[in-house]
Amino acid sequence: MCADLRRYLFHDPWFAAGFVLAVMFTVVVVLGPALAPFDPWDMSFAPISPPSAKHFLGINDGGQDIFSELLFAVRNTVVFGLTSGIIALCVGVAVGLIAGWYGGFVDMILMRVADILLAIPAIMILILTAALFRPSPWILALILAGMMWPTISKAVRAQTLSLHESLHVKAAAQIGGGNLYIIRRHLLPGMFPLYLIGFAAKARMAMFMEASLAFLGLFDPSRKSLGMMIGYAVKYYYLNIWWNWLLPPIVCLSLLIMSVTFLAISLEKVLDPRLKNSLG
Amino acid sequence: MTNNSTHFSSRRLGLVITFGLTALAMLYLSYSLPRLLPGDFVTAMYASSQVTLTAEQEAELRAYYTEEPGFCSYLLRLFTLDWGYSYAFLTPVSVLFLEALPWTMLLLGAAHIISMSLGFITGVEASWRHGSRIEKGMVGGMTFLEGIPEISTGIILLLLFALNLQWFPAVGAETAYAEVSLLTRLADIGLHLTLPLATLVLAYLPGNFLLTRNSMIMVIREPFVTTARAKGLPALRIRYSHAARNALLPLVTRFGLRLAFMITGVLVVERIHSYPGLGTLLFNAIQARDLPVIQAVVLISSLMVLTIILILEMLYRIIDPRIDYVR
Repeated sequence: MCADLRRYLFHDPWFAAGFVLAVMFTVVVVLGPALAPFDPWDMSFAPISPPSAKHFLGINDGGQDIFSELLFAVRNTVVFGLTSGIIALCVGVAVGLIAGWYGGFVDMILMRVADILLAIPAIMILILTAALFRPSPWILALILAGMMWPTISKAVRAQTLSLHESLHVKAAAQIGGGNLYIIRRHLLPGMFPLYLIGFAAKARMAMFMEASLAFLGLFDPSRKSLGMMIGYAVKYYYLNIWWNWLLPPIVCLSLLIMSVTFLAISLEKVLDPRLKNSLG
Repeated sequence: MTNNSTHFSSRRLGLVITFGLTALAMLYLSYSLPRLLPGDFVTAMYASSQVTLTAEQEAELRAYYTEEPGFCSYLLRLFTLDWGYSYAFLTPVSVLFLEALPWTMLLLGAAHIISMSLGFITGVEASWRHGSRIEKGMVGGMTFLEGIPEISTGIILLLLFALNLQWFPAVGAETAYAEVSLLTRLADIGLHLTLPLATLVLAYLPGNFLLTRNSMIMVIREPFVTTARAKGLPALRIRYSHAARNALLPLVTRFGLRLAFMITGVLVVERIHSYPGLGTLLFNAIQARDLPVIQAVVLISSLMVLTIILILEMLYRIIDPRIDYVR
């Protein structure tokens, strides 16, 4: 099944494209500080100078090297997205499993909470907390994860309900397997594809949110972020420096979002049993 | 029958109660969060802003914010549009909000209507040609578009059409101080609307298209579509009055779920094109650390989203009664 899956996935050009981009970004994230030619907070260069051999992308209005800034910004945005995505995934899977397996009152309460969270615009809660308390990005990632888990838990719950009735789970319960044992050994591994899809979708959402929040100026201004770079550069869009200052963060952000989107869409296409026959 | 209808209404009542409690929780949150701030509100608000207060002003403000209105009178103030006073714009918050609201509604409403109808039609047509080269090209193009965030589309459109080609204005919702007839004014508004609208449509379209196409592909395999074909009905009629109706449902159901998330894009797009809606108001308020405005915009717009989602929930329970029994 696993080898089959890999063959399927890499036959999909979208998955391949997303995967290649993801590998590239992984390299940038891991090696970013080592690759950066200058300290991105060093403001000692001549402001708004065009690209040169020393500064690949020139200098911004604050006298900082844009290329170095870019490397650090990508790193921050990716780390924010992955952190938030992983937390949302863990909470979503746990809640979905519990709601689906135990059912009844527990299920009702958990799903009501999920409905409520789905109806509240996450960005508004983030803006309010960011404006009032100016918390660290980690706290914001945590809050965002706390708003994003419901869609994952709904999918996991639905799958749990159908697994509940399947023969091997019934057999496990029949020979005396406890709740925790069944959840851990039979339910948790049985839904692996769902986790990948959910995680890719949530990481995408979180990176988009981070860029938007930074663009609106809600993060600590000394924290490098793609959204913040775009926000500063767009003020000077009428100058003839947009192609070396404004364009790089835009292209990076687009490639980043594209990478996760392609992975999410192609995983969904290949792993969703209902769509499997329509691959064509 | 009676059993069914009581079951029905109790479900709906539960829904209204849930949403009511959510609204109440959000109201309480926005009431209590500023009071949880370390130190006092006045220092927190004004220390970081660009305003310097005289001792007298500070004493007055301190008295105003420490009077502790209590949750009930806070609610009362909210309903009477008494949302406080913006110190960055020197105007009551409600005036600012109500000035900005129509522009956002125009932008958001038009974007959703266009992207939904366009996405629906293209999705239906694409799935009808399932497996053909046109369909693959469309799916590919839409997947690609789905990967480009609003920030990027907005700025690229701005650079291209407003700056280089100068076809569209770069800022605002209409030409300021122009005394013109109604018709020219409408055309002017339309011209200003084009770029932000195009950005949002490009952002929302792929989702609608892919959703419609995927559900249509499933619907087309159903026996009733084969029956319709066997009866010799014209293809257009099978496509739209038989098959597409069933593919419309997921589009409507998912709309409510995505709305809360899609608000983010509007904020960003308005800022990029300096469109004078709620997003720009919020941005300016954030820049000036104008907390009363931030608070009001966040709270009221969240409540509005909540209301829209509740109405949609009700609506598609009427369109598709099966929903009531599935959960």
